[in-house]
Amino acid sequence: MEITRLSRLALNQEGFAFDPLTGNSYVANSTGALVLEALRVGKGPEEIALHLTEGYEVSLEQAALDVGEMIEQLKYLKLL
Amino acid sequence: MNPLVVALSGLNATDNPGPGVGVARSLREDKGLDPKMLGLVYDALEPGAHMEWLVDRAYMMPYPLAGKSAFLERISQLVAQEGLNFAIPNLDLELPLYIRCAPELEALGVKTFLPDMAQFKLRGKEHLGQLAEELGLHMPQTKVVNNLEELKEACEEVGFPLLVKGAFYSAHLVHNPLAAVAAYHEVVTQWGYPVLVQARIEGEEINLVGVGDGKGGSLGQVSAKKLVVSSQNKIFAGVTIRHEALAKAAERFLARYQWRGAFELECILKDEEIHMIEINPRFPAWVYFATAVGVNLPAQLVKAGLGLEIEPVKDYEAGKLFLRYTYEMITDMTHFKNLTLHGHT
Repeated sequence: MEITRLSRLALNQEGFAFDPLTGNSYVANSTGALVLEALRVGKGPEEIALHLTEGYEVSLEQAALDVGEMIEQLKYLKLL
Repeated sequence: MNPLVVALSGLNATDNPGPGVGVARSLREDKGLDPKMLGLVYDALEPGAHMEWLVDRAYMMPYPLAGKSAFLERISQLVAQEGLNFAIPNLDLELPLYIRCAPELEALGVKTFLPDMAQFKLRGKEHLGQLAEELGLHMPQTKVVNNLEELKEACEEVGFPLLVKGAFYSAHLVHNPLAAVAAYHEVVTQWGYPVLVQARIEGEEINLVGVGDGKGGSLGQVSAKKLVVSSQNKIFAGVTIRHEALAKAAERFLARYQWRGAFELECILKDEEIHMIEINPRFPAWVYFATAVGVNLPAQLVKAGLGLEIEPVKDYEAGKLFLRYTYEMITDMTHFKNLTLHGHT
């Protein structure tokens, strides 16, 4: 997965992200921030979904859907 | 060595602010220069003329259209009375006059750091298409028009909505032929010919301010994205960015044209492509933003103009916010009265 654009984001622990190239900023909730961070270090969707089931009360199927939705949002924002 | 006495204009810090206050503030903050600063104004109510913490003394100037002799006469007075030895014109309309008078200014002992006339004309709005191509940037479709027939043809070709722009200032976004004609007349009345008809590019506005050393190199540059603009599209909030492609375009511009002095690249970022809107041959009103993040471009310009050895300053942090706000200054009538009656504070 292409992570170059994601990796350039300045992301803090509260889920605030700033893109130094475009000047755009984004806010993710705690789960979103976790997914973002995982994508940035190169983890795949399945691995991230599995990781979510360990920290949150969510089925693997639902977590996979949520991760997929997040990836679509990032693509829409041209970050992926 | 004589003390540094800098004259600067563009002190109209209003809803359509000039760069002068930002330039003066930057020069005040430089550790080494410590200049005496003279404000050159065209109206006794230009706010910068009343800011005693920035401007030591303000002088009324003849309008640039009054011509060379009126201009040089006033400058000569400032040399005699104040020891003026450096000038920073900050308004587009003044620049041709300062450039044309460069030899006379030099003879009077007044240094500048400006492009020559050929460089100045090359970045004129009517030449931007070719320039953008040479810099590897895109350019919105632009037509130069000089009469209503050409306006009609240009509008049909470009398509609405579009921008009707003056050669120096002013841009009107219009959505139909009737509005285009009204905007055309307004631009002609205010700024004369030619008028430009330009396609509107939807995207994010990113700008770069810098100073060229006149030998193809940069003395410093900072890029920012506009986050909030006024009704006149003037930046009221922004954020520093590091956009490599924009920075490289600026470097190509400096190398290609051996640009000397301040400049601003105004661009729209759309789908990763940079569309060049304008190149301004001077500092923009937001120049203090660069100073505040560590790149004091007005100080660099003055030092270069004085022939001092200086290193380029390009290091700054992305993600610094710029917030312009309104503020009221209360003062007595002394400066206003003196400017009106005597032509100086």
